[in-house]
Order: sequence, then structure tokens, then C-alpha cells
Amino acid sequence: MEYLRYGEDGIRIVFGDKIDPAINKKVRRYYLYLKSLGLKEIVDIIPSFASCLIHFNSETTSFEKLASYLTEKESRISALDIPEPAVHEIPVVYGGEDGPDMEFVVSYTKLSEDEVIDLHTSTVYTVYTIGFMPGFPYLGSLDERLYVPRLETPRVKVPKGSVGLAQLQTGIYTYESPGGWQVIGKTEARLFDHTTEPYCLMKMGDRVRFIKA
Amino acid sequence: MIEIIHPGWLSLIVDEGRYGHADSGVPPSAALDSFAYKMLNVLLKNPSGAPAIEAMGKDFSLQIYADVTCAITGARVEATLNGEPLEPWTSFCAQKGSILKTKAILEGFRYYVGFSGKMDAEWVINSFSTNLECRFGGFKGRPFVKGDRIRITGPRMEKPNTIHGKNIPGMKPPHVLRFVEGPEMKYFSRESLMRLFEKKAFSWYNVSSKSNRTGIRLEGEPLAFKERVKKSIVSEGILPGTIQIPGDGLPIIMLHERTIGGYARLGVISRADRDLLAHLKPGDKVTLEMVEPKEAEQLWNKKTQLYDAHQKHYRR
Repeated sequence: MEYLRYGEDGIRIVFGDKIDPAINKKVRRYYLYLKSLGLKEIVDIIPSFASCLIHFNSETTSFEKLASYLTEKESRISALDIPEPAVHEIPVVYGGEDGPDMEFVVSYTKLSEDEVIDLHTSTVYTVYTIGFMPGFPYLGSLDERLYVPRLETPRVKVPKGSVGLAQLQTGIYTYESPGGWQVIGKTEARLFDHTTEPYCLMKMGDRVRFIKA
Repeated sequence: MIEIIHPGWLSLIVDEGRYGHADSGVPPSAALDSFAYKMLNVLLKNPSGAPAIEAMGKDFSLQIYADVTCAITGARVEATLNGEPLEPWTSFCAQKGSILKTKAILEGFRYYVGFSGKMDAEWVINSFSTNLECRFGGFKGRPFVKGDRIRITGPRMEKPNTIHGKNIPGMKPPHVLRFVEGPEMKYFSRESLMRLFEKKAFSWYNVSSKSNRTGIRLEGEPLAFKERVKKSIVSEGILPGTIQIPGDGLPIIMLHERTIGGYARLGVISRADRDLLAHLKPGDKVTLEMVEPKEAEQLWNKKTQLYDAHQKHYRR
């Protein structure tokens, strides 16, 4: 495993350079392993598509110390018991007011609206990472027939619950925010609630299936 | 209780930051000038994580409905209590009914206002800090507006205390921001990088008016990507101070509101210069200077020693 510096209080561990389920699976294993260590010196762990970023407390440890500790314990990674990912079913109202970009997606993909919905609901997606805003899952990978570019000019306001497409990914806005994904529908599902633990419905590696509401 | 008479350009409640849930995309939303925030609580004899007001711009004013000790740290401001001028980074006693006002900013951009006692703020996911984008934490998850009333529990009068001028960090532009190499530095052309390496050939940027609490945008000569290099990356974790370079080549310095980014990362601002980011205002001249990780570490150690000494000295 290679431990790379990220600024003065970060360590980056890279597992690949593309969006790929096998790479993301390695990230998940490493992330769960890091969490299992329960190190007080680790402030935050940010697992993403192909890497893990550790934010450590530089007052209690250093890059060298933490990297050498992690190297020492590496043999435990393969022995770690990895839980089965949870599966979430997310009901979506497609098109109309809730999916302002459905028309564009239909014309870009040359599919009918029903075909777009069928394709979107027929894949079980993987939560590759969570970010951009609290609880926002980056889901992949889309059926290639649903490939669409991002909006050229991002919207100033995308409502909470909007389900969007961008290239080969799909995602769910957990808060109203500006955004550039092509919005095809909306869900009432609560993905993030800052008032109750666990705050976030999904974890990286979980599976998601959309259902037509 | 205190009542906001005028919120200035933007004022909100902050603390040391929200940590431990970055894997769910929860950003720190921390006070941007960490030293000024810490010293505010030292001056007021408040616990180290107490909520404080981070304000920006002139004309911030409030009325205080308690006998309480107050202080302002951070940017050097021309402030008054009932019309009487106040010393910077110095605590003072306010009688019930007093009006606190900032008239002008002399140096820096953001300043911190606090009271001895605990401001009643929303505690959300380990922190009082306001997440402006998601509207949680702080005061109802939003910036202050005229007429907002904040309760202060346990207001006290403390002996006035001051942080001496020589211990107040400089915030005057032009700013030299030192940084350590980031993961995608190799994406940029040699000529572009030479300007950053050659300390005598500074390339100056202006702070854009499009900057906000999420990121500081710089305007000037764009960095050139090497030929045949992708201009974006598969999104990855980022930490505060990350210098992202989008396709247009103009740097964006990320502050404390994002956990993931998809742009090439030229570098990360050294921790010793991180607080200065709070004081970059539109139009300021900025230059980036690369340092080795060892040098950045030394700069930080020097700074923390100074901080610790101040804290010990003033906490007495």
C-alpha cells in the first residue's frame, strides 16, 4: 500500500484512477478497515471512487508515524470481515415538474420517457461515494444508453430530493442547492437528517434501486 | 440577550468546526481564522469550543441586553461601544443597553465577536457552526438579519484583557500564500509551474468578487495544463486549503465547506497561512509560493508555539 502526503495533515491512499466497481470495492474494504482501527488520531476519513483520504490530528501524530503504523497493520486488511452492503429502495416520481430535464434526456438519448424510466429503474446501483453535500450519493454505473452530459450552465436552484443524471452516474440532491445534473425526477425519501442519528441513510458501498412511484 | 441591529455584509455563528462525518459528506464549516476565534474565547475566559459570531464588512451593530464582557478579534476594525472607540483584540465591559458598532475595517476582512457567557446556538452533529448551504447549526442555520435576538446564558463581567499589537497577526495585502504540492501538480506545464517555483518571479493574482465562504477564486494569468492531460479528475476527497484548478486555469482555494472535489489539485495552502484566507477580500493581490512539506511543518510549529504561549499567557 502506498501512503501519500496530502498537505500537512492528510494521507491519501490510491486504489486506481477510474470509476470501476472492483476498485471501489477495494476502497470500501480499506475504509472499513481504517474505521475498525478506531484511531483517535484520525479526525475524518473520506472514501471516494478510487481513493481514501485520511485527515489526521497533527498534534497527536504525524504523517510518518501514522503511515508507518498503518503499514505495520496492513496484513489485517485481508482478514477483515466485510459486511454485506445494505440495499435501499428509493421511490421516484419521474418527469413533469419534478423532472425538468426529462425532455432533454429523451431527445439526447433518443429513447422514449418510458424507456428512460425502465432503464433507470432496472439497474441496482452502487454508492461509490457520498459528498458534494451531506448525504448526496454518487451512484453508478448507469446503463450506457442513459449517458447524458452535465448542464452547460448549472441551475441556480435544484430542489431537495431531485434525482439527476450526469455522464454515467446518477445522484440524489439531499438539500436544495445549485447544481449541474440533468434532473429526471424527485423522491420524498429522507437521505440525510441532521437532527437524528444515524444522520445519513446510505454508506459507501451500499446498493440502491429506484422504483417508479 | 443581544439583538442584531445591522448584520454587516454577512454574520453567522461559528466554532472550531464539525468533524467526524466527512464520510457522509458533512463539511467542517469552521471559523475561517482559527487563531482569532481561539483568542476571542481566551480573552473572554470562555471554554475553547464556545460559539462566536463571525462577521464581515463594516456597519455590523448590535445591542446588548445584559451586563457582559465582550471582545472583537480577527480583522482590525474601527469599533465603538456607545460611541466610544474600542481597542482591537481587547475585551471590554458592556452595561445592559449598550450598542456595539463597527464603522470601518482597517486591516483584514473577517472578525469575531463574542461575549463572556454562552451564546444560545444550535448544536448539530458535534458543532455550533452554521452550515449555510444546508441551513443547519448556528442561529437557525442562517446568517443574521436585523432584529434577530440571541440568548446568552450565564453572562459575566470579566477583567478586561488585551492581546498586544505585536501578537496580532498581520493581514495586509499583498498576501503571500505558501503551499505544499498537491496530487495533480504534474498536470501543469513546466512554464506555468516555473512562475510559482521561482520566488523572484511572482505571478500575482487578484481575489475575485465571486469568492465566498466555500472558496476563494483568483483572477490573473491562468495556469496551463499540459497537452493531452485531462482537465478534471475522478472526484476525490479534499481538505481545507486545497487549491483546485478548473479547466479555465484559474485557482480556487477551497475553504471549509466541501469534502469532495473533481478538479485538479495544484496544492494545499500551508497551515501556517490558512488563517490568512479569512482575510482575502475582493481586489486583494495574492501570490502563491511553493514550499517543501518540511518547511511548511516548521512554519506551523513556529506558529503553534506562539499560539500556545499566548494562550498560556492570556488564560492566566
